[in-house]
Amino acid sequence: MVEAVPTGVRAAAVIFMLLVLAFVLGPLVVVAGVSFTAGDYVTFPPEGLSLRWYRAVLSADVYTHSAITSLRLAALVTLAATVIGTGVAVALHRRRIPGTGFLSALVLSPLVLPTIVFALGLLMLWSSVVGRTSFYSLWLGHTVIAVPYVIRTTLAVLATSDPFLEEAARTMGAGPWRTLFHVTLPQCLPGIAAGGFFAFNISFDEAILSLFLRSPDIMTLPIQIYTQLEFSPDPSIAAASALMIALTIFLIVAIDRLLGIQRVAA
Amino acid sequence: MTMAAVELNCVTKSFGDVQVIKGVSLAIRKGEFVSLLGPSGCGKTTLLRMIAGLEKVTTGSIIIGGTNSTRLPPERRDIAMVFQSYALLPHLTVRENVMFPLRMRRLGRKDEQQRRVDEVLEMVQLGHLANRRPRELSGGQQQRVAVARAVVSRPQVLLLDEPLSNLDARLRESMQEELIQLHRQTGLTTVFVTHDQEEALSLSDRVVLLNEGRIEQEGAPTDLYSAPATPFSASFMGSSNLLDVQIEAAKGAPCATLAPGSALPLEPGCAAAGPATITFRQEDVQLLPADAEEGILATVETRLFLGSRIRYVITAGAHRFRCLASPGHSFAAGQAIRVRIPPGRIRVIGRTLA
Amino acid sequence: MASHREDWAIAAPGLLLLLLAFLVPVGSILALGVRTEGGEFTPAYVIRFLTEPYYLGISWRTIKLSVVITLVCALVGFPFAYIMARVGPRLRLWLVILITLPLMTSVVVRTFGWMVLLGRGGLVPDIMRSLGLVRRNYTLMHTEVAIVVGMVQILFPFMVLSILGVILRMDPRLEEAARVMGCTFLQSVRRVVLPVATPGIVAGSLLVFTLSASYFITPSLLGGARLPVLAGSIYETATRTQDWPFAAAQSLILFTAVLLLLFPYIRLTRKAGG
Ligand SMILES: Nc1ncnc2c1ncn2[C@@H]1O[C@H](COP(=O)(O)OP(=O)(O)OP(=O)(O)O)[C@@H](O)[C@H]1O
Ligand SMILES: [Mg+2]
Repeated sequence: MVEAVPTGVRAAAVIFMLLVLAFVLGPLVVVAGVSFTAGDYVTFPPEGLSLRWYRAVLSADVYTHSAITSLRLAALVTLAATVIGTGVAVALHRRRIPGTGFLSALVLSPLVLPTIVFALGLLMLWSSVVGRTSFYSLWLGHTVIAVPYVIRTTLAVLATSDPFLEEAARTMGAGPWRTLFHVTLPQCLPGIAAGGFFAFNISFDEAILSLFLRSPDIMTLPIQIYTQLEFSPDPSIAAASALMIALTIFLIVAIDRLLGIQRVAA
Repeated sequence: MTMAAVELNCVTKSFGDVQVIKGVSLAIRKGEFVSLLGPSGCGKTTLLRMIAGLEKVTTGSIIIGGTNSTRLPPERRDIAMVFQSYALLPHLTVRENVMFPLRMRRLGRKDEQQRRVDEVLEMVQLGHLANRRPRELSGGQQQRVAVARAVVSRPQVLLLDEPLSNLDARLRESMQEELIQLHRQTGLTTVFVTHDQEEALSLSDRVVLLNEGRIEQEGAPTDLYSAPATPFSASFMGSSNLLDVQIEAAKGAPCATLAPGSALPLEPGCAAAGPATITFRQEDVQLLPADAEEGILATVETRLFLGSRIRYVITAGAHRFRCLASPGHSFAAGQAIRVRIPPGRIRVIGRTLA
Repeated sequence: MASHREDWAIAAPGLLLLLLAFLVPVGSILALGVRTEGGEFTPAYVIRFLTEPYYLGISWRTIKLSVVITLVCALVGFPFAYIMARVGPRLRLWLVILITLPLMTSVVVRTFGWMVLLGRGGLVPDIMRSLGLVRRNYTLMHTEVAIVVGMVQILFPFMVLSILGVILRMDPRLEEAARVMGCTFLQSVRRVVLPVATPGIVAGSLLVFTLSASYFITPSLLGGARLPVLAGSIYETATRTQDWPFAAAQSLILFTAVLLLLFPYIRLTRKAGG
């Protein structure tokens, strides 16, 4: 079949793919390039090569503090989202509670409904019920949008596992809870882990909810970059961004190793 | 009367409005090997799953080892089950899989459990693979792990749902022999689901033939084979011929008339005159040359050489039936012959004695 | 096994979280948009939004940009997904990783990259100048083109993955059959592949459209204050003027529009996945 494609068309296809990839990856390459500049301004191609802006970022409190806040937040979001999301995924997979189809659509809805509306609503509700926004309001908001990712990856794994394992465990004397812990959860593990990496990535990169729910004393890394961008971009932003890209690449590779990126992306 | 290991009392099962098990009563003796046999969709799996507790009983009761287990969840019934897909736990080794029921049921101390597992693994000849994971085993080996895992807890009853259907024909035969041996060694009460009548006949002490959620007939394999009680039994047990005939009682000895002037003699007093269905097995049909003294006139329609046997399709008047013969005497397709069936081998079904 | 209490138990934290921290906040913000301070129903805020020329302009720009973004994504995404479906599985895996990489990097990082590329002295204006297209000191920043460019990069993966899923499920022999029956290559793509891929294209378009209407960080950084879109306007109204009911009314309008588009999306993806 491939032989039947005219050569001209094939050449055009290769050029087309390269152009699109350049377009899609260009900004990331540019950010990485700028971060290595030796000059004082944001320029691409960079003026000379140096690691000075990485040194600057790693020694600047604004960046290290916000990075630590972001990492701590992402870790806690990952913890909450994996625990909560796994439970929902297992229950939905078993299809025994009524309205499973509807519930599946509902629990995944934070993925497609406008985050800004949710952010505004949560800010309003938090202010009237709890009071001042804090680290915890961010934790709550990020967890809500991270849970659907865990549900999706865990469901993807469950869909390919032997449907009779749980019943087999029951006939071997394991009650419902021991079946869950000794049989079902070990099956889900790759999905939970992949979902956890997604959750970490979502929380670490998230900007919209953070803009609404932050408080003056907490600053996440994306918000730090956002504020800098609005005022005075200098190459330290590029260095911080490049570090974030590196982390993302690491997470994507981890997800792919655990689960196969194609199974969760499509 | 000794206590039955498993007792089903008028068990029914409905999925929504559809009743798929329509009142099944069955008592299984301790140590008995019972097969549930029947066509696809007749409810074998459903019945087995109800015994296991995986499916709720709609009405009726199930008593296992003297305990009314009708409402007990599976883990509290004294059972073990082998699934068609084996359902081995992929994250555990062979040894851990076999250990699993002992751990979950908290049977014995740790070292006793170890010993039991080793013993059972030896019994199925898997001692050397104990530390492998299920996906590193062949289908037959996985099958043995599943069986080992089921017998290790010495349950009151062992349930198997078509455990051999995923194996190729040769492996299947050797596994059948191993199952028989295992049953003899362990003496476990066994309920075995299959849709393969040969498997049911060769393995079991008793065969329960199911049809559309009811017990059609039950009995020892030889009884079911040689004396099917209904047209369904006769046709399902395979290699039986079914003919609709007219019974005529001539001078005390009745005969089955296939066509005017062509009648098969029956045993005296076995049926009243009138329309009826008769059944006889393929291997009971004797073919004779056309000039023989006895038998009814017939024609060979087709001839199939099967190796150790020859199968003929015979027509007699408007009737067709099959015959299995040894290759000793041979008839060609289209040849006129005579057919004789020993009167004792013909059963009249669909009509009882007057 | 009867009551499945344990299923409810393990789902409960997630369902409660969804209810209390998602549905209730979203519901209450939507309700706020059509209520007076006393709590009675009033369409006043919505009407204000729909009648003031400034806000009508915002709506119009939002729709216009979303349509353009969706069209570009679909036009580029279909051939891209088709080629992806026809290359070997290893290369396809790499392509999936490469196009999901931007999807998973922070929106502020991506947008920063575009600011460098499109801004004064950036690579793109430089190239355009050396081609003699524009003057010195030309910038693409704070233009609608910049918004489209930045958004297409972000939303492109959604379109590609949506179309790819459908094409991968298609029987490749259909195409061979078409070629055997005398179609040229391009004809077979148009007559055979395109109709099969249409549900994927439509589903991807609906998703891209709704997402592009609800993002605001990229439009506000690349478009600037003079080119507000609906989502950005919600943020401004809520944080600058603190006019919450009005921000809520705008949210209601955005939300309703998104929901109207999501229903056909869900039905399409159900069918395609079924
Ligand atoms: N969960 C269910 N919901 C509705 N109907 C069911 C369910 N399980 C089984 N049935 C129906 O009950 C009947 C009996 O099914 P069962 O699986 O017991 O048949 P079987 O004898 O095991 O068949 P096979 O040889 O094909 O395995 C079938 O008609 C089937 O469609
Ligand atoms: Mg079955």
